Amino acid sequence: MPFSRRQMLQRTAAGFGMVGLSGLIGSRAFAEGATRQTHFAPKAKRVIFLFLNGGPSHVDTFDPKPALKTHEGKQPSGNLYKNYKGTGFVPSPLNFTKHGRSGIEVSESLPHLASVIDDCCVIRSMKTDVPNHEPGLLMMNTGNLQPIRPSLGSWALYGLGTENENLPGYVVLRPSTKIVVGPALWSNSFLPAEFQATSVVTADMQVDKLVANIRNAKLNYEQQREQLDLLGTLNRMHLKARGNDSELDGQIKAMETAFAMQKRAMQTFDISREPAYVREMYGETAFARSCLLARRLVEDGVRFVSVYYTTGSNQPWDTHSNHDDGHKKLCVDADKAAAALILDLKRRGMLDDTLVLLGGEFGRTPYAQVQEKAKHGRDHHHTAFSYLLAGGGVKGGMTYGTSDEFGMHAQDNPVHVHDLHATILHLLGLDHERLTYRYSGRDFRLTDVAGNVVREIIA
Amino acid sequence: MLALVGWLGLGRVLAAQPETAKAPSSSIDWNKERQFWSFKAPQAQPRPVVKNAKWPRQPVDYFILARLEQKKLSPSAEAERRTLIRRLTLDLTGLPATPEEIAAFVLDKRADAYEQLVERLLASPRFGERMASVWLPLARYAEDQAHQVGNDSTMFYANAFRYREWVMGAFNRDLPYDQFIRFQLAADKFPAAKAEDLAALGFLGLGPKYYNRGRIEVMADEWEDRVDTVTRATLGLTVACARCHDHKFEPITQRDYYALAGVFASVKMVNKTADGKVVEGKVPADKMPADAVHMVEEGTAQNLNIFQRGNPELKGAVAERSFLKVLSTGEPKPFADGSGRRELAEAITSRDNPLTARVLVNRVWGVLFSKPLVATASNFGHSGMMPTHPELLDDLAVRFMSGGWSVKSLARELVLSATYRQSTREDVKKSAADVANESLWRMNRRRLSIEQWRDSVLAVTGELDLSGGKSLELDDAKNLRRTVHARISRLKLNDLLMQFDYPDANVHAEKRSATTTPTQKLFMLNSPFMLTRAKVLAERVTTDASESDAASIQRAYQLLYGRNPESAETAAAHAFLRKPATGEVTRWQQYAQALLMANEMLYVD
Repeated sequence: MPFSRRQMLQRTAAGFGMVGLSGLIGSRAFAEGATRQTHFAPKAKRVIFLFLNGGPSHVDTFDPKPALKTHEGKQPSGNLYKNYKGTGFVPSPLNFTKHGRSGIEVSESLPHLASVIDDCCVIRSMKTDVPNHEPGLLMMNTGNLQPIRPSLGSWALYGLGTENENLPGYVVLRPSTKIVVGPALWSNSFLPAEFQATSVVTADMQVDKLVANIRNAKLNYEQQREQLDLLGTLNRMHLKARGNDSELDGQIKAMETAFAMQKRAMQTFDISREPAYVREMYGETAFARSCLLARRLVEDGVRFVSVYYTTGSNQPWDTHSNHDDGHKKLCVDADKAAAALILDLKRRGMLDDTLVLLGGEFGRTPYAQVQEKAKHGRDHHHTAFSYLLAGGGVKGGMTYGTSDEFGMHAQDNPVHVHDLHATILHLLGLDHERLTYRYSGRDFRLTDVAGNVVREIIA
Repeated sequence: MLALVGWLGLGRVLAAQPETAKAPSSSIDWNKERQFWSFKAPQAQPRPVVKNAKWPRQPVDYFILARLEQKKLSPSAEAERRTLIRRLTLDLTGLPATPEEIAAFVLDKRADAYEQLVERLLASPRFGERMASVWLPLARYAEDQAHQVGNDSTMFYANAFRYREWVMGAFNRDLPYDQFIRFQLAADKFPAAKAEDLAALGFLGLGPKYYNRGRIEVMADEWEDRVDTVTRATLGLTVACARCHDHKFEPITQRDYYALAGVFASVKMVNKTADGKVVEGKVPADKMPADAVHMVEEGTAQNLNIFQRGNPELKGAVAERSFLKVLSTGEPKPFADGSGRRELAEAITSRDNPLTARVLVNRVWGVLFSKPLVATASNFGHSGMMPTHPELLDDLAVRFMSGGWSVKSLARELVLSATYRQSTREDVKKSAADVANESLWRMNRRRLSIEQWRDSVLAVTGELDLSGGKSLELDDAKNLRRTVHARISRLKLNDLLMQFDYPDANVHAEKRSATTTPTQKLFMLNSPFMLTRAKVLAERVTTDASESDAASIQRAYQLLYGRNPESAETAAAHAFLRKPATGEVTRWQQYAQALLMANEMLYVD
């Protein structure tokens, strides 16, 4: 065999399961993975996407709009709002102050993120296509409004391949099983199964509760090793009688990988190994623990981790009523954990090549939604919202783009979801127009026929 | 503008513009296009001349042998009998042969012992279950939707299994394939269809429904699903690519697309009981009458305007409901009977349609030989692959049609062939000449599908429950039924199915990828399912053959692999079993699990 295993992994860069295939020279592994080198030098090697399900309010987080105060009660105009029956524009009750050397204004609900804002880039001109959760979630996660396309994470893994054959390449962490849309958000769709996500419900952080079948309930390590030795003996006899069929050999290797993975995953997924001060820095909520686990995962070579912010609610940030209180409460742990993650990565020297994203499927209306027997809420808003990016080759301490004076529409330098996706792939060394997969007679890509890399935010 | 583009469904536009992009429809040279290999009628072929005239057993063998001889290759020897019966039984029924069946076949001295075996297996009800495993992913069979609002299950398909059972039954009674397609598109419009055939309409009815139905752009997405599923499954054409613009690779225009989409815009989706009554209103899945299947019925017939760039606001010319132009003589004739489903079904299954028989024959070939003759089994267009054996494909297709579209006859010819009966044995010299085995100088060694593998595990432990009916969850520990009877979800595909390459049920699945991953092995190593099966298997072989370990080992090998163990295998087993167990799991259970996890259980020679 002309390639070492490491070379093989570098050359083919297929995903989870690659090792099991590494014997398949000349067959599928090469057919699928031969050109998986990145298109150009990557700035980011891994991604952590912190997703705030339901849609966080931009005018209460990263996009200060004093005009809402002066125009409070004024009705929004335009076609989208002709059926609107609410009480008009409503300002954020939160103070915005300038932070860091960059002086970026951040709401007082995010004190921890404000403290690391010089490491962050705030995009204030995001927009998506639809103000509904399902298509909005699908657009942000898969680049398409219907649940029939591969997710951003699967595309990234398809493009990059795995860094650690003993761990999955793409992991989804979510505190509860309840989540709007569900697994279509992290589907590999028509991409081969090796690019699929490993979905982990983080309600119970005991490792064998996190990862299915990661431990044998009856056999200890030595017993299982002995069993596998027997299996290996039988499999090798079978193999030898079949001309050393490389596919059968691949199965044998995959079994050994699985065995090694048990030990490795038991360590990597175990956040109780973290010192108390680190756990304290993140916080003790399910989302916070998931953020900490995300850091452990990328540290050990997982390429793409999505952390979804869900609770007992399947979309907590969907604050249609009592918005001011609800928003503030949600920010408490989201802010602390996200900032801790950025800081933690930085201290470990990993922020430079780890891209962290924070945002939801859209923003919330600058005007009030009136509900009976409750304080005002904010409705879904897709024509302007904010995203926070940190690390991974993104310029720190900058804002990009603006929304109009009320936060209604992206104004300067609008960034569509396709543009964000193109930029993420670019940071990973992948050209979104060339990262294609031939399926059903045509070449598909994450960004479809759209997407422009936002070069101004790249360091 | 970008927002508008996505919102309006331009999302479907071809991503990469290939260099070979076609000119606009106005410049399509239809006469020339109709000369492309797959758009020309398949022709019966003269039997190729071969040197080794003793080898062929079936018409297909002449085509295979001629190619081999041309490449200076020779076929492999016939596989031994126990290999043949294991292969044949797994291929035709999806289950392993029992030791008793194997022994009987090995000892069967009749000249037509193999033919008898083939007949027995084709007559087994298990045949339809096996073929349904092949058909259902093509029909993107599922029982729910990819999203759910709250606990609303009114768009779920409580009795989807009735369509699945109809498919199984159709294969078992060898319903001619043209009827099979006609009933699935328009059972309500063909007098030959009986009341029980109405369930066939689930083919269209069980498709995905999207969020915000009723909006034109969402309905347009649903029509795309119908066009895509129907055309790729039956014609091997990617017509849905022409939703936003004329197809970039194929002679398929936007007019073609909207002419077909109009058919699906002219139907209603209803829950209909076995006696043909429509269940009114939005009914949650658990309240649905037990015999109601979600299916199509005629709605208000309408022609769609072409949506320019896929945008429903930008209405272009009216596309009269009709068939694809490239498959018509001259201009396609407008459909006049209601939605046009009947006429569409007739056009697809017409003796003059050059694709339908080829596509089906190719799929069955793929099932039995593991590699279809046209590698892109749902794409026979310019952007698909050329057949490795075009004359063979043509000849099979022609005889398939003239023989009455019988899937069983087709399968029979293929498994009776000398080509099929070859050994999988490696040969270094031949491999050097044709490593991919494209010329079929040997039989391909194949990995079992998740359905075959799980069913085999349950069969060898003696636990397999052959009942069907309403779907059970695969995760249910009490579910010991065949995998094909499990619930298939669009919302969350079962983990086991997903890990073992079962395709996403949201769209037509042309093929399965065959990945080898550690998560698959973790399932084998640690899942409660496997630990339980190992326990049951250990009990079975130690009770059945209680006299000695040697007898139990032999029994296990016969059950799992259809053969006796080699002495080295027995020795390895003895060495393992001899040591005392230290925990609660007996050595026999650990050994039984190793046998179940082994490659020999996962592959068929």
